[in-house]
Amino acid sequence: MLASDHHRMKLESNQQGIIFSFNGFISEGILFALGDALKKKMSQDDTDVCTMKRVFSVFVEQAQNIIRYSAETLAKAGMEANRISSGVITVGSEAGRFFVVCGNVMRREEALPLQARLEKIRNLDPAGIKAFYLDRIRNEPDPDSLGASLGLIEIARRASEPIQYDFLDIDELNTFYCMKVFI
Amino acid sequence: MREVPVENMFIPAMERSPEVDFRFLGNRIFLRGEAYPEDAAAFFGPLLKRLSAHCDAIRGQELQVEFRLDYFNTSSAKALMNMIQILENAVRTGTQVTLRWCFQKDDEVMREFGEDFSMELQHVDFQLVEI
Repeated sequence: MLASDHHRMKLESNQQGIIFSFNGFISEGILFALGDALKKKMSQDDTDVCTMKRVFSVFVEQAQNIIRYSAETLAKAGMEANRISSGVITVGSEAGRFFVVCGNVMRREEALPLQARLEKIRNLDPAGIKAFYLDRIRNEPDPDSLGASLGLIEIARRASEPIQYDFLDIDELNTFYCMKVFI
Repeated sequence: MREVPVENMFIPAMERSPEVDFRFLGNRIFLRGEAYPEDAAAFFGPLLKRLSAHCDAIRGQELQVEFRLDYFNTSSAKALMNMIQILENAVRTGTQVTLRWCFQKDDEVMREFGEDFSMELQHVDFQLVEI
């Protein structure tokens, strides 16, 4: 049972073109290690430099979003750089294109503003995304943002089609947020 | 007022942070490698502070800056934009600044970032250099 269960799990992942899928608490150290494996895998497969950089960038921004914004987080005040947070992150390829999927639990009240930002970005064409990026980088980040609030726009900029996202309310307080990006 | 002696600033490249080679004594500034430090504010904060202070101290002189970056995350992009704004302001107070933005052949992402940042510059002598 042990081997057959896990073998089935592995086969299903392989059939979906998954390079790796991580589920659990993620730290900046894990981000670095997964990113390193991803670079090496893409390099061995002779992926072109631009595609590698785009996939890597989407992966880093998504992983940092989990670390910073997942509701399931362990962080001590003043130790934000050592924060670990729970989520899922998957990188794979489908019909010749790479994809990166991330997901994490978040508070329902925080989901609404995020959804509005995602929808705004989804409706922009590449020139609009670029203009939005430049506007955000010139101006100060959102007060509630731990990063530069540029991450989502950077992700959209590296994507080859509009980003897909979804929310699933899991109880009165929490929602599961998920995003899939094709590069 | 006693003059503070000028000291160079050097930080070797690490796995996820660039080489910082700020030769304040020769007015030459280099940043090379990849930038996605765990805490971008902690990494770039002291760099911005030193660069800003140096620009104030060398009004009327020449400053040569070279960025040779392969990748940076959005938190680092914000810090780079701040650096570029410091350089643009330095020109307004009389410093002659040259910024060389170097990118690897075929690296469209880094070339486009160079173009993006150059839009912020009106007075800095900006050069986009394929290497």
